Amino acid sequence: MTRHTAHVSRTGLVIIGLILLLGGGAVLARSLRAAPSVLGSSHAPLVTHQQAGYPAQNGWVWWAVAAACAIIALLALWWLAAQTGTRTVRRLPLEPDRIQGATVLRADAATGAIADELESYPSIRSADAALQGSPRAPGLRLSVTAENRPDPAGARAFIETEALPHLRTALERDTIPTVLRLQFSRAFDRHLA
Amino acid sequence: MSDAASRPGDTSVLPPGGGPPRPARADAWSRSGPRRRARRAFRPRRTIPGVLVAAVLAAAAILGAIQAVSAALGHPLWTVPHRDFAGPLQTTPWSGTGTISVAAAVAFIGLVLILIAVIPGRPRAIVLASGDDSVVVGVTRRSLRRSLAWLAEDVAGVHSAKAKAGRRSVTVRATTRLVDTAGLRENVQTTVQDRLTALDPLWPLRVKVRLRRREG
Repeated sequence: MTRHTAHVSRTGLVIIGLILLLGGGAVLARSLRAAPSVLGSSHAPLVTHQQAGYPAQNGWVWWAVAAACAIIALLALWWLAAQTGTRTVRRLPLEPDRIQGATVLRADAATGAIADELESYPSIRSADAALQGSPRAPGLRLSVTAENRPDPAGARAFIETEALPHLRTALERDTIPTVLRLQFSRAFDRHLA
Repeated sequence: MSDAASRPGDTSVLPPGGGPPRPARADAWSRSGPRRRARRAFRPRRTIPGVLVAAVLAAAAILGAIQAVSAALGHPLWTVPHRDFAGPLQTTPWSGTGTISVAAAVAFIGLVLILIAVIPGRPRAIVLASGDDSVVVGVTRRSLRRSLAWLAEDVAGVHSAKAKAGRRSVTVRATTRLVDTAGLRENVQTTVQDRLTALDPLWPLRVKVRLRRREG
């Protein structure tokens, strides 16, 4: 589910943060003469004359830099894609028995059906459903906007005891881990209540 | 979910500052499984800082690769003097203030990123008890705030209301034009508390009402 993207984002941030912190810390340590015997003198220039001339004499240095940059760029792009992807399941295997012939269900048929069913309930204004994660064990994300009625328990009972069991039956699964996000909109009969 | 629908009528008027009523299903909160799952489901994902850092990193690495390749081919794209590519770096000592401030800034940014990643953050939704362990239900904080404010505004005598949802409590600020405000605060409190009880948050929220009189 989207917990996966949270994991990816947070792990990446820790790694980049550690690199920056340790790098900056090491430079600071040398600048402030924390350990001159290990890190070197703090009066030396950042780049010595010898180091500055090194790439001019060794042609491979720029290629190595280019390769390192390319790898970093690829990793960063992969990280970017992993964070922005919603991991929406598009096709669901229903009958995994390959010998008998596999049955595959289009996920939007299932999610569309539950969204329609939810919207048919009187106090539910709109509903949005998506299956996410792996096709074998998908999780359901439901977003439901209900009217701001005095008794919101009815809509919830309908979702939990009618709509979700129907979806489970349709997908032939005992449980589907579900995250339901409930929102409220102004009720039509607000001033009549 | 037959045992679930705790009726709003069960709540009596609360003594101000008294303990909130515990909905029956809030027992789920004492079990660690549902609690952990619920907390996780609505924890901030940190996608925005993650995407920002990834984009900056990718852009910098791509520019670096282009520059390095062009330099390797003998025609640096951005004409850094070829012989001393390091330019001013050769005259700046490690102990220079510039070095120290840049290094400190980099280390600080690193620390901030680590903190962003490690701190769980405020959940984006208030978790409600659900009758089914595989279902996590939450009301987005903003939506809850707005719906409770509308509800409070419907109480007779209330002119306008705003609600704030904290971790353990909901604060309703209501204004009234009535001269005699006796009982109004309790009315608002009961209405809001009843709604919250009907929603059945996984851990109880207590309602505080601040009433202000408005002239006119």
